[in-house]
Amino acid sequence: MSSVQSPPAASRPASGTRAEPSRRRPPQGFDRPRFLRIFTGIFFIVLFAPIGLVILFSFNSSRSLQDFEGFSLRWYEQFFESPSLRDSLIASVEIALVTMVVATVLGTLLAYGLVRARTRWSDAANVLMLVPLVTPEIVAGVSALLLFTQVGLELSITTIMLAHITFSISYVTVVVRARLAALGREVEDASMDLGATRWGTFRLVTLPALWPAVIASGLLVFALSFDDFVLSFFTTGESPQPLPVRIWTQIRFGVRPTINAIGTFMLVISTLSIGLALLLPRLLGRRESGLKMLLGREGA
Amino acid sequence: MSAIRFEGVTKRFDEAVAVDSLNLEIEPGEFFSLLGPSGCGKTTTLRMVAGFEQPSEGRIYLEDEPVETVPPYKRNVNTVFQSYALFEHLNVEDNVAFGLKRRKVDKEEIRSRVAEALELVELHGREKAHPRELSGGQKQRVALARALINRPAVLLLDEPLGALDLKLRKQMQVELKGIQREVGITFLYVTHDQEEALAMSDRIAVMEGGYVKQCSSPEDVYEHPTGPFVAGFIGVSNLLPGVAENGGVRLASGELCKADVPNDCSPGDEVQLSVRPEKIWTEEAEEGMVSIEGTIVERVYVGTSTQVILELANGVRLIALEQNFNRAKSDDRWGIGDRIRVSWHPEHSLVLR
Amino acid sequence: MNENRFASAFLIPGGLWLVALFAAPLIFLLALSFGYTDDLGEALYGWNPENYSRVFDADLLPVLVRSVGFALATVVLCLLIGYPVAYYIAIFGGRWKNVLLALVVLPFFVNYLVRTYAWIAMLGDDGLVNGLLGGDLRFLNTPYAVIGGLVYGFLAFMILPVYASLDRMDPSLIEAGKDLYGGPWQTFRNVTWPHTMQGVLAGSVLVFLPAVGDFVSASLLGGPDDVMVGNLIQQQFQASDNWPFGAALTVVMMAFLLIWMSLYLRSAAREAKEARA
Repeated sequence: MSSVQSPPAASRPASGTRAEPSRRRPPQGFDRPRFLRIFTGIFFIVLFAPIGLVILFSFNSSRSLQDFEGFSLRWYEQFFESPSLRDSLIASVEIALVTMVVATVLGTLLAYGLVRARTRWSDAANVLMLVPLVTPEIVAGVSALLLFTQVGLELSITTIMLAHITFSISYVTVVVRARLAALGREVEDASMDLGATRWGTFRLVTLPALWPAVIASGLLVFALSFDDFVLSFFTTGESPQPLPVRIWTQIRFGVRPTINAIGTFMLVISTLSIGLALLLPRLLGRRESGLKMLLGREGA
Repeated sequence: MSAIRFEGVTKRFDEAVAVDSLNLEIEPGEFFSLLGPSGCGKTTTLRMVAGFEQPSEGRIYLEDEPVETVPPYKRNVNTVFQSYALFEHLNVEDNVAFGLKRRKVDKEEIRSRVAEALELVELHGREKAHPRELSGGQKQRVALARALINRPAVLLLDEPLGALDLKLRKQMQVELKGIQREVGITFLYVTHDQEEALAMSDRIAVMEGGYVKQCSSPEDVYEHPTGPFVAGFIGVSNLLPGVAENGGVRLASGELCKADVPNDCSPGDEVQLSVRPEKIWTEEAEEGMVSIEGTIVERVYVGTSTQVILELANGVRLIALEQNFNRAKSDDRWGIGDRIRVSWHPEHSLVLR
Repeated sequence: MNENRFASAFLIPGGLWLVALFAAPLIFLLALSFGYTDDLGEALYGWNPENYSRVFDADLLPVLVRSVGFALATVVLCLLIGYPVAYYIAIFGGRWKNVLLALVVLPFFVNYLVRTYAWIAMLGDDGLVNGLLGGDLRFLNTPYAVIGGLVYGFLAFMILPVYASLDRMDPSLIEAGKDLYGGPWQTFRNVTWPHTMQGVLAGSVLVFLPAVGDFVSASLLGGPDDVMVGNLIQQQFQASDNWPFGAALTVVMMAFLLIWMSLYLRSAAREAKEARA
């Protein structure tokens, strides 16, 4: 590596050639990211290897995890043909959907209240909203279980939904609140100035402006709920149980190749959900800029 | 009947007093401006008329009806906001029609009135555009159309031209004045730009610290400021130190300038004489003018006029403004360092403390 | 004011929900931690502070210590692995920054269980690695496997904040540092590291908090000697049916975490104030 350590003084160009100031000094080992590049490369390999394994072997025709013996969809068949696993899948989707809808409604309303209201409850409400985000999942699970038992509610899909909603509200509120704050008050003032009541303003002006944030956070909540294990684990009934809980049971009782298939499937669902959340605003934007091009030519 | 009347209106935010004992009457059809630096209370006053703030004390009347209990969406006023506040999710047409739709006006009438409003602001043809496709000036017009279409008793404008560049601003000033005359609606206009206020208004209320310092026509406010703040805020003013005497001011350099000494000044008091630069002559003094000598220290050429900056005997600087009526910069009559005499009519000067 | 009353009404649905289903249960938990179990195993409320003394029993102390130890090890490893990666992406990523970042985050969309299972698949006795090496190496049921599982589970929580603070840093600072300090290591120590301290702290908290209470990794990847406090708590509520004791364990763990969190928040607030000054 001796070429890297050439003395700066000798290779500093004469003052006449002031090309790129940042290249004035010859690249030292620090500048050249060779080590970092290799490290990062290995990092990604190690990061993706297990997942790649799962995805790959979900298509393995044999049960082995060591030899890939051929392409087959048998594990997916086993997954979708098993009535109890199907029930679990439906349960997971149901729970995620309900959680998404209820949490977005509650979270959006809460966000509006936190931003627009100035009361002595505001600070307390804000803290109350933030604490679930930093509560360890096991604490969440245990306290939810306790609540349901105290109230005499039997554990079922409903209890899972209730628990999921509780811990999803905060995600929605945080996302929607940021957008609402950025929106500013003037537009709402303008709406009232033009004759819309406060509720009318919320319905016709505030909410439409908040849609991207509401939908994005909703999809996020969907993915989080679909993937959730700990909360579901403590609040689930006998049957049906959501997919992650089934995976847990299956792993505890030995390694089963079906898990590969279920895992891959869940990965696809979650990625789609998050991907949609990210792409949706851009899809809308593209349509509008196309319109802009047309109008630009017309109006100019 | 007055369009807007303020009776003893005070507005407090916690400890701070934003507006203090405001008493004002604005006539129907007037272009009335609230002028002052930031924090003077002009925007707060506007918001109280719109209904976004409630006075802490006093009453506000719109067309002689008290409005304390009337929420903003029921008042017969509309606002044009500084940042336009257009509804981004609606196109131009729907933005402009918003107020009418809230009042359940029927579709045909809405269509014709929208077309009318867009004609007025010269945005005909852009109905289907979205706010994000429009320039600042165009957004401003949409905001204007959106407000005017409702035929309010009063139009409130909160520094609407602040975000536009100079040329566009000047153009819009002329257009706004024209629209106001055409439509005949009372305009209550808030600005910190005194040139703008002078150019457009029928009357100006100069505000500072929550008070109205002076309220009269642009000419009056400019030529006869009633106090040092107004004199200093509107236009540029020279301030010459002197001592009050009976009937005038004895300047530090010895000359006596006849002037109206205010009642609270007694002979012997130290005062300042205020004279506007454009009132100072560099030509031969006419009869009755006061003259003073000074050395030229600077000449500033700004195209339409030249500022001649003199230093007087006592070190005070005086600015004289001459129009470049029939000469160019190269046509120098004097140079820096020359001693010249300048003069002005005493009635153009004002005694301040 | 009318406007305030209108907006305040919006706080009610979400607020009530959170009070009823989040705050109240926590209070129940606290109350139950002082409770008894009767002969039938039913949990009753009462005044039984012995639950707490049991928590710090000589038998159980190793579990607590181990949990903190594993969590700390996880934080350190996440930092050692995550910081260089974040650095590479932030400083040398160029226009691939967002893609690389997305790639880092992508694995975390795989269910945590499935990811942990993937490690079992790879490192188990019948797993891929053993198959490739043809050997009988035991990777699982060791504390290293547990920590490995934790690191793999929470790595993204370290990388993202560190990346954010690196990205926010003015690159000319590094240039200036090189001028001033000469060597790359000194530049890093005196310029880069202090500037990214906030990100490092945030990442550490985000990893430490869930790691302490985790029971999945220890359950699936560890042996009986690798039990963490999370496992203990889980057992009390499901297998052993000793809810009051489980509640006490949970409260102790929460209190422990709250101390660190408030320290972090105070330091973050101080940073923010200094940054504004």
